[in-house]
Amino acid sequence: MAWLPGGTPLPGKLFVVEGIDGSGKTTQVDLLSKWLLGEGYCLAYSEWNSSSMVKSTTKRGKKKQMLTPLTFSLLHSVDFSDRMERQMLPALKAGAIVVADRYVYTAFARDVARGVSREWVRGVYGFAIKPTVALYFRVPLEESLRRILTGRPELKYYEAGLDLGLSEDPYESFALFQRRILEEYDKIVDEFGLTVIDAALPLVKQQGIVREIIAPHLEGAMRTKPSGWREVLATESLYGRYLDEMVPPRREE
Amino acid sequence: MTKTRFYGNPLPGYEDSSKELRGRLIVIEGTDGVGRSTQIALLREWLEANGYAVATTGMKRSLLAGEGIKAAMTGNDLDNTTMFLFYATDFADRLERDIMPALRAGFVVLTDRYIYSIIARAQARGVNRDWIRNLLSFAIVPDLVLYLAADVQHLLPRLLTSRGFDYWESGKDFLKDEDYYDAYVEYQTRLLGEFDAISQEFDMRRIEARRSIHEIFGDLRQEILEALSGMKPIASPSFEETTS
Repeated sequence: MAWLPGGTPLPGKLFVVEGIDGSGKTTQVDLLSKWLLGEGYCLAYSEWNSSSMVKSTTKRGKKKQMLTPLTFSLLHSVDFSDRMERQMLPALKAGAIVVADRYVYTAFARDVARGVSREWVRGVYGFAIKPTVALYFRVPLEESLRRILTGRPELKYYEAGLDLGLSEDPYESFALFQRRILEEYDKIVDEFGLTVIDAALPLVKQQGIVREIIAPHLEGAMRTKPSGWREVLATESLYGRYLDEMVPPRREE
Repeated sequence: MTKTRFYGNPLPGYEDSSKELRGRLIVIEGTDGVGRSTQIALLREWLEANGYAVATTGMKRSLLAGEGIKAAMTGNDLDNTTMFLFYATDFADRLERDIMPALRAGFVVLTDRYIYSIIARAQARGVNRDWIRNLLSFAIVPDLVLYLAADVQHLLPRLLTSRGFDYWESGKDFLKDEDYYDAYVEYQTRLLGEFDAISQEFDMRRIEARRSIHEIFGDLRQEILEALSGMKPIASPSFEETTS
């Protein structure tokens, strides 16, 4: 179950994955989703900052460096609200599983690290649904930096936290910014009861732990049948040459 | 060969009903997410493999009005009547520019929805029934209308696994006070009710869509084969003669 802010339970399951850049959470969420789909569950995958509604605004803000900590924080809330309304809430009401790659805790950690008020940002997300399970992939700062900065990739302005004026050097700025975020996460873990996973473990081992944690919560979750068009192609000797043209493109099976 | 029949007054330029159309007009109808486009993709390939020339069309694909409708729909402020008229314009343009010429030339025209979806959507929003019918009476009567029928519970999974519920598919334009899930269930239930009601009026063949793609494909193919009787597919030349 997941819960509306007022405490009303929803029949679906909301699994949240959190962690700083370089914690390996995206790999873990990908493995988790594949496992659940393989088990036949009806799964909605929702990724932080992915709503098409605000994409052009965020892009403009980043490109022209127009974003302040406040407007950056608010834009994320628009993205979140749109996904909540059109994607996560409907799926949870229907009894399906929602896997969220980052959730409100990302705002609580990153926006606060940027200087936004702790209390205020918690209030902004007062409409958020309480997750069934929230996993936090905890990784030592040095390890995450090693993973991200190997090969010295180019860091973008906001990604490196250059808007905070902590340092002129993008790499140094990034490290200082990440440290702040990590400290906020540590507070959040206790405050919201996140389940901590040691992200320094081998990834297969981590995924084993993830599945053990998730498995007891799957009872009653909505399942779906695979659509089976491959079988038609095989038995009818068709190539499916027009299936690609379908608008919008589908994610089958 | 089929006689040219219209629901009401003939399309301008087609008043002489003794003119016959060589092709066949086959409509695949059904609500959002029932699997129409998958079936049309499969049917098109199968028909072509069997020597038929196939043309396909569908809502919002007209040269004249397709982009205009899409642009208007991003604004979320289309009035019921205006939206209906815009869809009718899109349909008329495709009928005159794409469908009729293809039928005259002997194509099998597979259309992803026809006037019935436009009617069902407008009726679900309370637009006057007689006015709707009169307005769309220039439509040609198809050779076959296949209606893919499912219930809301069957339609949900596709949406749940998508990037999010669509504003219009959820009827949010007129069910503003409900959340997306409730609006979707109410709107699609209404829409299916309208489809059931008009399926008899317009002689639609009901195909049970709560089955596997393969089973549905088998039924559609059967119905289409009957509708194509009397039509000659393109003969395949024998390749063996040319090898020497």
